[in-house]
Amino acid sequence: MLEHFLGGLAVVLQPLNLLLLTSAVFIGFIGGALPGISGVILVVILLPVTYGMEPTTAFMLLTAIYGATVFSGLITAILYRAPGTPEAVMTAFDGYPMTQQGQAGKALGIGVLSSAIGGLVGTVALIVFTPILASMALRFSSPEYFALAILGLTVVASLGGRLIYGLIGATLGLLIATVGIDPLTGTSRYTFDNLNLAEGVGLIPMIVGLFAISEVMKRALDQDSHQPLKKVRIKIFDLPILRQIGGTLTRSSLIGVITGILPGIGASTAAMVSYSEAVRWSKHPEKFGKGAPEGVAAPESANNAAAMGALVPLFALGIPGSGTTAVILGAFIMHGLQPGPMFMITSSDLIYAVFAGLFIVNFMILLFSKPFIALFTKLLNVPYSALGPLIVMCCIVGTYSVRNSMFDVWLMLGFGVLGYLLEKLKFPLVSIILGLVLGPIAESELRRTLSMSQGDLSILFTRPISATLLIVAFLLLAVAIVTPMVKRLRNRPAASSSSEQRSNP
Amino acid sequence: MLTKKTLKAATLGLALVGVAMGASANEVADYPSKPIQFLVAAGAGGGVDNFARVVRPMFEEAVGGARITVVNLPSASGALAHQRTANGAPDGHTLDFASTTYVTSLAAGQNPIGLDQLTPVARMQSDVMALFVNPERYPDFESFLEYAKENPGKVTVGGTHTASPDHVAFLSLRDASGLDMNFIPYDSTGNATANVLGGNIDATTTSLSPLLSYIEAGQMAPILIFSEERLDHYPDVPTTVEHGWDLTDGNDRAVFVHADTPTELVQHLEGVFQEIFASEEYQAYAERVNLDYREGWMGGEEYRQRLENNYELYSRLLQNGN
Repeated sequence: MLEHFLGGLAVVLQPLNLLLLTSAVFIGFIGGALPGISGVILVVILLPVTYGMEPTTAFMLLTAIYGATVFSGLITAILYRAPGTPEAVMTAFDGYPMTQQGQAGKALGIGVLSSAIGGLVGTVALIVFTPILASMALRFSSPEYFALAILGLTVVASLGGRLIYGLIGATLGLLIATVGIDPLTGTSRYTFDNLNLAEGVGLIPMIVGLFAISEVMKRALDQDSHQPLKKVRIKIFDLPILRQIGGTLTRSSLIGVITGILPGIGASTAAMVSYSEAVRWSKHPEKFGKGAPEGVAAPESANNAAAMGALVPLFALGIPGSGTTAVILGAFIMHGLQPGPMFMITSSDLIYAVFAGLFIVNFMILLFSKPFIALFTKLLNVPYSALGPLIVMCCIVGTYSVRNSMFDVWLMLGFGVLGYLLEKLKFPLVSIILGLVLGPIAESELRRTLSMSQGDLSILFTRPISATLLIVAFLLLAVAIVTPMVKRLRNRPAASSSSEQRSNP
Repeated sequence: MLTKKTLKAATLGLALVGVAMGASANEVADYPSKPIQFLVAAGAGGGVDNFARVVRPMFEEAVGGARITVVNLPSASGALAHQRTANGAPDGHTLDFASTTYVTSLAAGQNPIGLDQLTPVARMQSDVMALFVNPERYPDFESFLEYAKENPGKVTVGGTHTASPDHVAFLSLRDASGLDMNFIPYDSTGNATANVLGGNIDATTTSLSPLLSYIEAGQMAPILIFSEERLDHYPDVPTTVEHGWDLTDGNDRAVFVHADTPTELVQHLEGVFQEIFASEEYQAYAERVNLDYREGWMGGEEYRQRLENNYELYSRLLQNGN
């Protein structure tokens, strides 16, 4: 295997390929940074360009673009709260508050480092474990996916703020997720006979609206157009910070790899689950959402790790683990290659060259991200009265391009207003997004589970993986609810006894 | 005065008739007179999308130069692409690339654009449908049949979403065979395949070409092919027709235009696609993506007949199904 990898590395290090990889990284950077332009679109646009290339070169190019896109979504998420890709939504929750506190450089540095580490962990897992991991992923079926979604949803109880708001938010997310043609029976739900709603409410219009547009509105309406920072200094290697986020990085990268490998669960969900776990494991969960460095490190390491993980089932089984990998699968077929169980054996040269390319890409991200981000931080000096409309324009073009739909643009603007109002009410947007992304997984997988078992719920507990996940979810939920109660009880006698002591000198 | 007016009106009328006739004659000669749109009734990167994008340069060449843009309209199982085609100008400059999903979604009531609003120009591909299993579990169709008969309601078959070609193939098999089986819809062919590989479900009904690599690796096997004759590649696998079930539908990929498009123009376009289909370049592509297992070509009129028959069958199946 090492031999193969070194062979692949030799291919990648040929000057022409290296040049190609560099340009791929830059293309990915730009696409990822612009809200709405996703990896899927870039790969589709560039696919015809690759017809003339050798398959090895073509797929190094396409996978490098894919890796770079997942990374660069964080830039606009941190600087303007306009996530460049759906994978970077969670990054905005703590990255943007850091920018508002004048710590944009720190947030970006953490983001870059976490992305590169997550990406490397993912790539190593891809190189070393592809065959083993792929067969493990096959043991995940509907009951396990359901349990995983439940585990993610229970974190609502651990998020800071008022629990009732969290619950309302999650329910709202779940409700919005039910819109569209029910994938299991074909019944239309809340579509009001509008074909545009048949596919449901798109994730991109919703994210772009709730985050980017609402922020522009807030800045415009609240006359808060003053930008406190002038110069952003990005520090990627910062030892004290590294010590602080080390644990989060390790945990999130692993969560990312594992969730990424599961077919059908992409990097966005991985970022969400790892953010949830970062909140849960933190000693200061109340700091999340207000600019916690771990809140940037967790989703960024996880989404990059997951992006690489999603390639595992693609290469080993021919089953795409996410949207972009599905398009890459199509690209393989167009080149006359057939990813599947024999792919690792029949095309090992190509695969190891792609692996080596991805390995190099993660270092390129570390190397090239600083000058690239500098382009965006310069924009911070532009007065917001000019920058705001520019952001809105990017959001409109990006949202339109996803499905060529004007309806989505109106939807996005509507969500912008909704997001603005919800934030005025101090509503946690994070719980809405949790409900929206995990809701459809939980719903359809539960129904598939029941189809598998002819309606018998016990299947959830007779399968070891789903039973474990559900028990863990239940325990964590119990801890999250009981701990504050115990604390309150303990504080009460302690407070009264200390006051007694004081009164009795 | 009166005669003058009448004369004027007559001249005008004649002129209009002349324009109209001239237009229909010139429509073919002038084609294409403006940029052409390929509307893809599916997402980027899938089979229909690849089909449209591969055909695009060949089409450009065949009509002697044209500006073509490819637009993906995946929403509502592609219904938006059909809607836009049907609401556009009937001048053959908007071409709708769609799969069998067009007629299955029509039968399911998810797509309001019927065959009275669209005219099929040509069918170019027909991927063979088959029933696939993990061969360790069921070595052949006989063993599958036996198990399904002995365990009514226990067999689970996966495929893509409700009212998809996969689902309709399952329903038609269940209807013809009378077996008591359940269908589980997944988000993609990949997810359904993963569940068969992992032993979580018994089988999947889907098209052949995406699963070839699993067949070669021995991890999945077709045990029943939806076809009249056995395929040369799989001489040992029985067909539906052998069992007395008249189910031969594949997953088709075809091109549609506005229903009011002049007949001469539709015929001209059909000729263009036939020329493309016969070209070496197109055949090389079909072979590369394993779509050469059976004849893909079908002329517009013949294909319309087939779609109309299928619409009736699918409507009945979907109403009784679930």
